[in-house]
Amino acid sequence: MSTFSNSGKGVADPANPGRLISQFAPLAAALLIAGILPSFVDNYWIQIASLACIYWVLIAGLNLIVGYAGQLAIGFVGLLAIGAYTAAILCEKLGVPSLVALVLAGCSGAFFGFVIGLPSLRLKNFYFAMTTLGFATIVTQVALGWESLTGGGIGLPGPVFPAPFNSSVGFYYLVLAMALIATYLLRNIAISNFGRGLVAVRDAEVAAEAMGVPVVRLKLVTFTFSGGLAGLAGALYAARQTYITPDAFTFDLSVMFFIAVLIGGRGRIVGPMVGTAILTLLPEIAAPLVAWSTFAYGLLLLLVVLIVPGGMADYIDKIFKKRPIANRITAPKVGVISAVISRAGDKAATSIVVKNVALAFGGVRALDGVDLEVQPGTIHGLIGPNGSGKTTLLNVISGYYAANQGTIFFGEHDIAGMPVQSRSGLGIARTFQTPRVLGNLSVLENAMLGAYSQFSSSFPLTALGLPNSRREDKAIRERAYRALTAVGLAHCAESRADQLQHTEQRFLEIARCLVMQPKILLLDEPAAGLAHNEIENLGTLIEEMCSLGVAILLIEHHTDLVFRISGHVTVLNLGKVLASGTPSEVRTNKEVINAYLGT
Amino acid sequence: MILSILIAGVAIGSIYAMIGICYNIMYSTSKVLSFTCGQLGMIGAVFGAWFIGDLQWPIWLGFPAAMLVGVAFGFITELIAVRPVLKNIDQHLYVLSTLAFALMVQTAAAIWWGTEPRPFRTLIGLGSGALAEKYWLPVVVCLLTVGTIDLFYRKTLWGRAFTAISEDPGAALALGIPERRMRVISYGLAGFVGALAGFVGGQLLFAFFAIGALLNFYGFIPIAFGGIGSNRGALVGGLALGILQQVANYLVGGVFVGVVIFALFIAVLVLIPQGLFGSSAARRV
Amino acid sequence: MHTSAPESVRPLLSVKGLAAGYGSLRVIENLDMSMGQGEIVALVGPNGAGKSTLVKAISSLILKTAGTVTLDGDEITKLSPRECGKRGLVHVLEGHRVFAPLTVEENLLLAAFDVPAARRLELVEEAYAFFPDIAKKRHDKAGALSGGQQQMLAVGQGIVRRPKLLILDEPSAGLAPVLIDRVLEVVESLRAKGAAILLIEQAVEKALRVADRVYVMVHGKIVLNTDAASARAPGVLEAAYLGTSTNQ
Repeated sequence: MSTFSNSGKGVADPANPGRLISQFAPLAAALLIAGILPSFVDNYWIQIASLACIYWVLIAGLNLIVGYAGQLAIGFVGLLAIGAYTAAILCEKLGVPSLVALVLAGCSGAFFGFVIGLPSLRLKNFYFAMTTLGFATIVTQVALGWESLTGGGIGLPGPVFPAPFNSSVGFYYLVLAMALIATYLLRNIAISNFGRGLVAVRDAEVAAEAMGVPVVRLKLVTFTFSGGLAGLAGALYAARQTYITPDAFTFDLSVMFFIAVLIGGRGRIVGPMVGTAILTLLPEIAAPLVAWSTFAYGLLLLLVVLIVPGGMADYIDKIFKKRPIANRITAPKVGVISAVISRAGDKAATSIVVKNVALAFGGVRALDGVDLEVQPGTIHGLIGPNGSGKTTLLNVISGYYAANQGTIFFGEHDIAGMPVQSRSGLGIARTFQTPRVLGNLSVLENAMLGAYSQFSSSFPLTALGLPNSRREDKAIRERAYRALTAVGLAHCAESRADQLQHTEQRFLEIARCLVMQPKILLLDEPAAGLAHNEIENLGTLIEEMCSLGVAILLIEHHTDLVFRISGHVTVLNLGKVLASGTPSEVRTNKEVINAYLGT
Repeated sequence: MILSILIAGVAIGSIYAMIGICYNIMYSTSKVLSFTCGQLGMIGAVFGAWFIGDLQWPIWLGFPAAMLVGVAFGFITELIAVRPVLKNIDQHLYVLSTLAFALMVQTAAAIWWGTEPRPFRTLIGLGSGALAEKYWLPVVVCLLTVGTIDLFYRKTLWGRAFTAISEDPGAALALGIPERRMRVISYGLAGFVGALAGFVGGQLLFAFFAIGALLNFYGFIPIAFGGIGSNRGALVGGLALGILQQVANYLVGGVFVGVVIFALFIAVLVLIPQGLFGSSAARRV
Repeated sequence: MHTSAPESVRPLLSVKGLAAGYGSLRVIENLDMSMGQGEIVALVGPNGAGKSTLVKAISSLILKTAGTVTLDGDEITKLSPRECGKRGLVHVLEGHRVFAPLTVEENLLLAAFDVPAARRLELVEEAYAFFPDIAKKRHDKAGALSGGQQQMLAVGQGIVRRPKLLILDEPSAGLAPVLIDRVLEVVESLRAKGAAILLIEQAVEKALRVADRVYVMVHGKIVLNTDAASARAPGVLEAAYLGTSTNQ
């Protein structure tokens, strides 16, 4: 047990030398092979390798959108086309130097990436997929029709890079370098706060908001970034092809990029890389049957979706990745909590005061003039029969619903109009009735998500992997590890969160809240499904947090727990406060008993 | 001039409307929007041209044969691309499975049929000029289809079961309605309607492997506009789209027609997500 | 314990070792219960107790992870909801889930989906006999009915299916008292015709008026199984509900 009592440096830190080596070994090997490739294959295969690198630059970006953010952008070839045509037009028609054109192609890709990102804010799944498809079609149509600019069906010559990049081998090293840069940027984002935030947006958007993830901004930034990479890839593509026409950018190609990401596995890096290699090589290997390669792709995608929806990497993951040990027990160490949640600069304790809040859905008054107050260092229980409005009240306090009337004061600020994302920044943390954890991420990464809003490095700086962002990440990682120790899940830190049992997931949600260093904690039926001793543990954790000055609102059906640990209890019935007082006052209140028995 | 634009627009719009109905029928029993609807249209056109043109079968044989192929593909879609993923909680998988299948169908058609658009023979030979068969046939068939399906939904027990399943699948299941059987049948029916659209539209669209993708997109717009699940909406949306397309073609010319339509499409989707005729499904408390 | 009990005393419904839940959440574990022919059993308990989960597991609407369910001697554990329905196990969901765009008559006809057309109308008329109020509205869309009328229609759908065992999940939710009485009258009439009814109810007092027996469920477990008269004794239910039962 004592191995886990430190801050988790050895086990969980990605900067740990042993871990770095095991992670980078396959990449280093691939890099070595790629580097010496030109010396042992002929020109034809060097060109193929160049193509693979170019595709990878685009797919690296697409991976963030499809793999991490889960947006079904199947028309990405449109951005490739835009990058290609931007570079070609700048070089051919405006005489811009090719390397400058390369950068500008990236910029135009970024701009249109942003444009595609906008519909993703409102449209999901099929609708969004169709939208990107339409976009790709439009781009091709414009390229075909705007003859004066794009040369129409005849096309344009691609940019030519200056020596030494104008030879086959020189060009290869250029695109290899670009592919490496793309991988570097991708990896930095993927392992950072932003990567976790994207997965949260994909798998648990509601919870993501509660943790302060600015969904809109994050999506748009990601689309812009990926668009930029696609634009660069387009310019490089145009250079490789030496001549571009609209029919080079077919729907098939777009779908194939998409498939490369998915076959590899969502939220991975090496997988999509392998997918890219297959994508490039398949038409070559199946040379006489090149028409069938598209068919094969469709078939491959179908098989992946039906058999291993998480992609091959997911499948491998499930076999090889560390599983939590059987017969494990969750033994909280409440003494650690204080170290986790004490904020350096901001010691002010804050209360939540809800006054006269009312909310109606259609004709139904879900909340009808509710008053409630939770003072720092106290536990306020909230009970009531079904449909009484308990969870609705919680959702109003955390910001998912706006009340029709009444005020909600967090300390001195009326937060009634504040969006969900901003409330976590104030220190309002919550758990959910059904645990919302990100199954594909590790338990530790899930816990780290609690500190999302405290992460200050920007997206570009994080992508570049600057020391500041790494330092922040490390600090949060240590804090998260301590939080896991506090709730008793440290021994599962590296396991996938979807391998946890239900009760462990509940404790994980609490650990996540601890990482947020909350001032207010809203608990929505945390004891549901817990065994007796687990409820005891839960109670101990809550009481410890309370003693450290957190204001806690506890919704529960386990009335025994509520009466035992709460300082004050409010009973809701049909949206109104039925009773409010000390536990002993409430439990003997005749009206309360009648409400529960439905009389 | 205006008349010929209108006629062409209404004709092609009818085809779009029928593909929209194909989407609706599949959606009604499975809540799945399938990428295979446009491909069904392509199948109707291609197989129709093959049976009647290449194999020289008479129409009374070639037509049902082409429709049977459509029904078969409808069944296959349900079996391999929809049923397996319905069990999965992950909402988006059906997009990928139907996309994969659609791609396979399209590529197979390109390989077998070839990549050149081939003309579709005139079937009955009634009318010419502005009233040529290639214009009135899609419109007549589309109206018949809308009417028949409407009657089906309103007057037959099965039609009402379809409505029930799409309204509240959980309640339908608890009531003992044979959900799976209904779903399979609906996909077969959708296959029929999709193939029919391609068959009667063959003279306008040609038997061409690539029309699948085209119909996918232009068949989806009517229901995005009219609201998923509403066949009347699909009809209105389809006709409006067809006319808009022809007008834009005339005014602006080829290139920017697409841009205009695309921009409109996005605007409608974002502003009125449930469409003009769609139910805003106010869930019971 | 019992090898070959005579048919008249064989339980209608026998549930042994049932376990079910949602995803990784185990709601009920190792649960036993039974019902006799023609019995009205009330299943009560606080929210989140698992009552709906239990009956959904019995009728196969959710997956059972363990246990067996036997209906009138036949094991129905692995059967689909449709199959269970064919054997006489009819489940009326909570929340009066009728099909709003269809008429009252169409809603009832759908309940008789598998029945030959001629017989269908007969069954529908039988249901109307129980609920004359909605018979008057037979051609109105179900969506236009009030909540109470929709609930009666939902129960009517259950009646059309000629249940041996009818499960009613919170039929009185949101109903005016006079309508609740109506529903309970119907429950008694059904019993008179030989059906058994499993009644989940929030309005415990009213349920106890018609029930023969009561199961009280708290946190996924049955904490009390007694006849209705004993349950009506003061303090008994309170103790079971509010978790003071352990102090007894």
